[in-house]
Amino acid sequence: MNAIEISNLKYRYHDGTEALRGVSFRVLPGECIALLGPNGSGKSTLLLHLNGILPEKLPADGAVKVYGDVVSPANIENIRCQVGLVFQDPDDQLFCPTVAEDVAFGPQQLGLKEADVSERVKKSLAQVGLEGFGHRSTHHLSHGEKRRACLAGVMACDPKILVLDEPTSDLDPRGRREFKALLRLLPATKIIATHDLELAVELCARTIILDHGQIIADGRTVELLSDEKLMLAHGLERPHILHHLHPH
Amino acid sequence: MSAHHWHESGPADSPVRRLPPGLKLLVALGVILLLVSLPRSLFWLSAIVAAFLLLVAGLGRIPFSALFKRMLMLEPLVLGVTILTLLQPDGWRTFLFLFIRTNLCLLASVLLAGTTTFTEMLAVLKWLHMPWLFVTTLTLMHRYLFVLADESERMRRARASRTLTPGRRFQWQMLSSVVGQMFVRASERAERIYHAMCARGWK
Repeated sequence: MNAIEISNLKYRYHDGTEALRGVSFRVLPGECIALLGPNGSGKSTLLLHLNGILPEKLPADGAVKVYGDVVSPANIENIRCQVGLVFQDPDDQLFCPTVAEDVAFGPQQLGLKEADVSERVKKSLAQVGLEGFGHRSTHHLSHGEKRRACLAGVMACDPKILVLDEPTSDLDPRGRREFKALLRLLPATKIIATHDLELAVELCARTIILDHGQIIADGRTVELLSDEKLMLAHGLERPHILHHLHPH
Repeated sequence: MSAHHWHESGPADSPVRRLPPGLKLLVALGVILLLVSLPRSLFWLSAIVAAFLLLVAGLGRIPFSALFKRMLMLEPLVLGVTILTLLQPDGWRTFLFLFIRTNLCLLASVLLAGTTTFTEMLAVLKWLHMPWLFVTTLTLMHRYLFVLADESERMRRARASRTLTPGRRFQWQMLSSVVGQMFVRASERAERIYHAMCARGWK
């Protein structure tokens, strides 16, 4: 069964901007997919559809299916357990005063008992390498730590699918390296919208290129990213890392 | 950075700082209630309250200069409330009575804020079973006040760095546009936060 199946997804913002014009693709369980495209190509909008944040009024017969179930008002809670969304700006996502409270938010919403919640908090913090950070104020973390805390908050809900919006933007090289290593260890199905082309090459076997709300290309990362003409036509470029991995 | 700093320089460690926050809230409320219900004939009691509050300030290791500055900031409010009494015949007595009483009430609140962190206060409110929406709103406000303060500071710097001929009129214009921008940014952020909350199962 497909982890995600999207067929002919369209979305128009209130101001009339057509953000998505008929997007269709399937994701198999365990895949790690890079979603590339220039700014304003519709990547973030697409991600918000994956756990029913958009459209504002969910239709009963939507275009997005998660493990065979159409995302609809009836099963939205279940869908949000399965699809964990990590937002672009960590400050938007860390809305609780302390790290532990923030990580506990998801499990609490699931209605778990207090002992189970704290068990999950502990486990998630350990998973992202933030043991002992529970009492820290979310406002005073470094950018890398904030990213990890966001990830812990989502992991605490135990999602099968992880959706990340530009997870390495604003990170210094070390932070980027560490965060990539962390992502590689997570077994969930992953969809990563990013401008970090090295991340795409290193982590994702498959890449989808989006531009003007349409899928331009969908295929093996190395093949797509080696196609210089395609890359340049859509605000991207052939990453240097490919010169080292595949000199020709 | 400035907002960071302001936030970090929380209450200094002291015996008062270590008291249970619930107790401190109770005492502060008690003092305020006492002051508000004090009849004018027993007004001399407020001297005892004042002495008590100053003792707390001393034990709380709050520098008197900082205390004075905070109170000074609140003084326009106090005067706004009390100054009209001066228009009455023999109003200066009423004025003095109200002025001292309001100031002592404010002093009690300032001392409470100066020796207790906001997170502790929120925990007390939760423990007291205050309405959930009220506590959540306060929690979010406290979380994002500093994010917004940092953001406005960055905007101010960005504008200042391109302001070559600062005139007063121009500064006012700038301020109004900053306020407008902040409003737009804050509401956009609120929407993103709401999305993030929904994504983790907020109902």
